[in-house]
Amino acid sequence: MEKLIMRRMHQGGTEEMILNFGPQHPSTHGVINFLVETDGEVLRRAVPDVGYLHRSIEKIAESVGYPGFMPYTDRIDYVAAMFANEGWAVAVEKLLKIEVPKRAQYLRAVSCELCRIASHLVSVGTMATDIGATTPLVHGIRERESINDLIEALCGARLTYNYHRIGGVAFDLPAGWPAKVKVFLDHFDKLLGEWDRLISFNEIYVKRLAGVAVITGEQARNYGLVGPNLRGSGVDWDCRRDAPYGAYPELQFEVPVGKGFRGTVGDAFDRYYVRVLEMRESARIVRQALAWLEQNEGEIMAKVPRKVKPEAGEVLSRVESARGEMGYYVVSDGTEKPWRVHVRTGSFLAMGIIEDLSPGLMVADLVALIASLDVVAPEIDR
Amino acid sequence: MNQSAATYLGNIKDTVQSFWHGMSITLSYLLRRPTTIQYPDRTPLPVRDTLPPRYRGFLEVDADICTGCQACERACPIGCIQINLEKDAANPKQRVVTQFDIDEAKCMFCGLCVEPCPTGAIQHTREFEASQRSVRNLTFRWADPLKPFPVYKVAKGAEYFPRAPLGSLVRAKIEARRWDAPPPEFLPPEAPKPPAAKAPPPAAPVAKPSAAAAPAAPAPKPAAAAPVPEAKPAELLKAAAETAAPAAAPAAPAAPSPAPAAEAPVPTTPEVKP
Repeated sequence: MEKLIMRRMHQGGTEEMILNFGPQHPSTHGVINFLVETDGEVLRRAVPDVGYLHRSIEKIAESVGYPGFMPYTDRIDYVAAMFANEGWAVAVEKLLKIEVPKRAQYLRAVSCELCRIASHLVSVGTMATDIGATTPLVHGIRERESINDLIEALCGARLTYNYHRIGGVAFDLPAGWPAKVKVFLDHFDKLLGEWDRLISFNEIYVKRLAGVAVITGEQARNYGLVGPNLRGSGVDWDCRRDAPYGAYPELQFEVPVGKGFRGTVGDAFDRYYVRVLEMRESARIVRQALAWLEQNEGEIMAKVPRKVKPEAGEVLSRVESARGEMGYYVVSDGTEKPWRVHVRTGSFLAMGIIEDLSPGLMVADLVALIASLDVVAPEIDR
Repeated sequence: MNQSAATYLGNIKDTVQSFWHGMSITLSYLLRRPTTIQYPDRTPLPVRDTLPPRYRGFLEVDADICTGCQACERACPIGCIQINLEKDAANPKQRVVTQFDIDEAKCMFCGLCVEPCPTGAIQHTREFEASQRSVRNLTFRWADPLKPFPVYKVAKGAEYFPRAPLGSLVRAKIEARRWDAPPPEFLPPEAPKPPAAKAPPPAAPVAKPSAAAAPAAPAPKPAAAAPVPEAKPAELLKAAAETAAPAAAPAAPAAPSPAPAAEAPVPTTPEVKP
């Protein structure tokens, strides 16, 4: 970055500008800085500068031990904390070679898919705000509040859930909860139609996004994009279906893929609309899993030793988070604390592609690009 | 030319149509009931009563059924629970809890301490409103260092433990303190120095009625300000407290510095009790 500034200073005489976009800009979705090199309204390039929210969560894992790290995983991605919980639980279960009870797996599926809906609602809402439509965010947040209420009744917290445990989940369904979820889902299916009319197919919104910041499928694979960003580029890969874990092999759902809904495949609108379609599928999964939970009984926790002390070894877990594949790489040295933990998150991978996509974009389209990648700052830095 | 005019007009039509769709939805919400509620004066119930029973609010400890097993202390990932057990001076077979501090300001409300508790003595409540001017006033002391409580003996095969109504204890504690109460004068953990022994006994009764949260008062001066312990004017104590915070870290090699309150009252208790 310094080099870039120095180069510009010594060149002199050009009309290009270097601007700091961020770190505290509302459309960077958190504390991220972009060093933007512009020529008028057109970008020469935008260099993301991450690290403002680094909290060394991976290092904390090395000092608090396996069960104690679970609440910290909530803080990796606070918009979709359930997946971070699940990824950590799956990783340690692999390390301990624990079989998770079926009921716990379904409870995980329910909680995670509700969380995915909540996360996508925030994502599409903030995206609309970044484009300039302020109303949809309020609608999204309103629906997310209902999900927060449901999850609060399930596990006692609205944001930092800490619901999953190594070997299962913390609580079974509360009384009357499935009925409440169904009422919400019925309402939510109607809302999605309303959402499409309100913003998705709004002509101005479509014109702002269609054909902007196109990521081809090959590019997406090369940069290691994951989740909706990858699927928005037309690559049909979903961890839940293609590398199944938990209860997902037994659940029926479609994986929406970008098809160039309004422009070219892999543009900002595709990435946006894949998320809207995913919410619909998540609602489907929640219905199925709830139906199973109501018909079947069972344990919600496996037998886990009181002292979690896995054998020496290393393990990689992958779960499909709202922001794409989330991986925990855990190295154990046979003690009560992990020797090393690495978290692989979707937002960090998405940041990598911004510099290469930015040349030639308008400044306002950079905002659309960032919003369509759905980055969450704490997940980038961890 | 003809075609471009058609697209142009088509765009205008689509835009107007989108406007109509969006505006009709937005206007329809004008006629629906608002989902927002004015907090806190327009809520029909106190907010804590509208929360689900699993809500993870302030922690509460029922000392009557606490077994003193320290499982919660070990489970806490951030170490906001501090428990000290001692043998009862009168009855050496009986262990007593001289300290059970929960720093709610540090607590991240994860609920991990509740799970290993054998009797359900420690529980999350639905209390969440207890703002304090000083963050140190959020340390809840469930054991009185001057009147330690004996540990609960679990009867064989017991399934039920008589617990005070959930939330009543912590609510009493919250209501007992003023929001702008002065912070407890936490002193640094005492270095091993025997001459301090004669100072505390006369000081203890003076300090005790002042505030329930400040039993740390009797423990005297940090290492720097050594001289007259009997005089003990309030200013000297205040100054001691101010110097205490920075001095705490070097003074305590073993204990982590955020819990300086922990060690202070401990040495005084055996002398006061009998």
